[in-house]
Amino acid sequence: MVLELRKPRPVWQIMFSTHHTDVALLYTITGVAFLFMAGVLALMIRTHLFFPGQGVLIPDPATFNRIFTVHGLTMLFLFALPFAAGIGNYLVPIMVRYKDMAYPKLNAVAFWMNPVGGALLWLGFSDTSWVSYAPYSVIRAPGPAADMMIFGLKILGISSILSSINFVVTILKCKHPDLPLRQVPLFAWSILTVSLMTLVAMPTYAASLIMLLTDRLGVSGFFNPSIGGDPIAYLHLFWFTFHPEVYIFLLPAIGMMYELIPRFSRKPLFSQASGVFAFVMLGLIGFASWGHHMYSTGMDFTTKVVFMIGTLAAVPASGMHVFNFLATMWGGRIRFAAPMKFAVGGIALFFSAGAGGVLNSAMPLDFITHGTYWVVGHMHLFLTGTIAFGFVAMMYYMFPFITGRMYSEKLANIHFIGMMWGTVQVFFTQHLLGLEGMARRIYDYPAEYTSWVQLNQIATVGAWILGGSFVFFLANLIYSAAKGKEANMDDPFGLGGKYYYPYQAKNPTHHTGY
Amino acid sequence: MGHDTVEWVFVAIVIAILVYVGVDSWIVQKAVEEIPADAETIKVTGQQWFWSFEHEDGTQEKIELHLIKGHAYKFEIYAKDVMHSFNIPDYVVFEDAVPGHVNHAWFSPDQAGKFPIQCREYCGIGHYQMRGTLVVEENKS
Amino acid sequence: MKTLIAVSVITVIALALVSQMHFANAQLGQKVSEKQYINLRAEVWNEFFRMTTAAFTVGAIVSGTMIWLVWRFRESNPKNKTPTKWEKFDDPTSGTYEEGGH
Repeated sequence: MVLELRKPRPVWQIMFSTHHTDVALLYTITGVAFLFMAGVLALMIRTHLFFPGQGVLIPDPATFNRIFTVHGLTMLFLFALPFAAGIGNYLVPIMVRYKDMAYPKLNAVAFWMNPVGGALLWLGFSDTSWVSYAPYSVIRAPGPAADMMIFGLKILGISSILSSINFVVTILKCKHPDLPLRQVPLFAWSILTVSLMTLVAMPTYAASLIMLLTDRLGVSGFFNPSIGGDPIAYLHLFWFTFHPEVYIFLLPAIGMMYELIPRFSRKPLFSQASGVFAFVMLGLIGFASWGHHMYSTGMDFTTKVVFMIGTLAAVPASGMHVFNFLATMWGGRIRFAAPMKFAVGGIALFFSAGAGGVLNSAMPLDFITHGTYWVVGHMHLFLTGTIAFGFVAMMYYMFPFITGRMYSEKLANIHFIGMMWGTVQVFFTQHLLGLEGMARRIYDYPAEYTSWVQLNQIATVGAWILGGSFVFFLANLIYSAAKGKEANMDDPFGLGGKYYYPYQAKNPTHHTGY
Repeated sequence: MGHDTVEWVFVAIVIAILVYVGVDSWIVQKAVEEIPADAETIKVTGQQWFWSFEHEDGTQEKIELHLIKGHAYKFEIYAKDVMHSFNIPDYVVFEDAVPGHVNHAWFSPDQAGKFPIQCREYCGIGHYQMRGTLVVEENKS
Repeated sequence: MKTLIAVSVITVIALALVSQMHFANAQLGQKVSEKQYINLRAEVWNEFFRMTTAAFTVGAIVSGTMIWLVWRFRESNPKNKTPTKWEKFDDPTSGTYEEGGH
């Protein structure tokens, strides 16, 4: 397979390639690059909030609003989605035993929409917040930033629809006939689930973006109450896409853990069937809970109850994943190489975030938590604690395969400890800040609220630790890719030699397996 | 125990906990949503970037809201321009102000003193300073 | 071992009940106001503390299990010197999920 640095090729050969591993490499590198760019924005926000009332680092609220907007959009649309698509591109064709993706050219097109969409988001630097609630985004948000954001998201949305079509066709139609669908590895199952979810959810948002644009141009008034529109309609359309989207971000990370945990536990998976069942359940139930983002918009009691039940219904399926992981580890002989450390850390934080989610769904607690830093902490605990942990684990796992060299385990240890510590310190503290009543998306807060000041400062120190750990990560990636020890490609993680890594599928000595 | 049994027991426990969560929050929500019939109505209007209030007797206030301890108050929440969210953290009063809609919240202050009022939905440049004060006075009668 | 588990389960339930009773009493105490309005913030915060009690109880069990798992089944644990029965398969991690005999 590809060993980019052992057999270097000219960059343009990779850029204009339509081979699935080349597109995957482009996706992965883009995702990681945007992760670091958005991470810098996050550190700016946290550092700014360390000093109440002094305007440190970010001189005015308009810039602050733009920074948190672009931070959110970048992390979600330019890190989480492309990175999952990248790993999917690497592994899905191998897992279903096909030579490439079903539509290689479409695959490349879908990737190349990402830099374009990313450029629009970053050059516009909109201030609508990532949810861009109407009517603020219609009547008050300054153009052309907001319009550029709409076009950028439109392009990214089309890109994710195209890559979803590609994955669905690859898995369902190009799968090897000897391989029954239920035996397709769970990572491919997670990609199949999220692709189908994207195809159902994303068009709604695409439509609402068009409505937002025509509203901004003044030719329509879907969401503008002064000409008869209804802002609540936008919220419904938005969350109908973006609550399922939460699972679209989450499930690939769970799928990656399914790839890592049995292998490093040297044990078969506890139950393939329950993993498949839980993925399908989450894929369906994910669509039944969008209203819990809108409890406070004047929803009546019955509607709230329906959405609360829909939200709680997703918990057993998530619990089945955790159970499956723990039962797989039980009785194994676990090698804690970097990927396994991150995967296990991710499971631990997945539980914390999930428990917080159950609290969120309880209707009366919405009075305390909604729109405060509790929500910020909760959703970042999911996105960093579970999704980024899974993704980072996968990056370490794929590293020898992509570069032919081994990462430094020492630097990876520092990264793990820093990331775990930092994640807990920032996001658990933000939960407490929410309970103290601090609203989210605020540029500044009164310095006489001492509990806010203290908690913010604790969170900021945590963010520095988290950011610092990623410096080690970057150094590890760059240094080890260039100068690292050559990896033993038969068994880079030293699991005993009998272990089969999916990326060895095209090795002629392997005839069995996927 | 078999392979599946363990997992089904686990799922049953999870569902039991969730049923507890659901039933408990149903009961509490039902109780706190019921607005007392004798509650005094106060119109709250959110706009960029301050709150204004209108009492039942027509008195108008800006930013500061004066209420009396022990009475029940019902808020009718309006928004003039974009979405806001009316919030008194210390009394757990929280409801969005949506342009084109009227939303309701109620509470009954049981402690005299000054309490912060804030906006909890992003509404633009001045969102962070869209603050007010709730002044709860002792019942004079 | 079994008694240990039983005792700890009973302790956890007892602790949960104690906090429940405490919150119930707190609620009763606050209900004495001149009119019969329910105390909204007490209701909501009591609910919050009941929920967090449940969450932290479950969390203690889950994270305890995880810590034990990681400690017991790490490959450097002296008890794990011999390869497990699954390691004799050519590829223990794929294909033969249900045939491993667990």
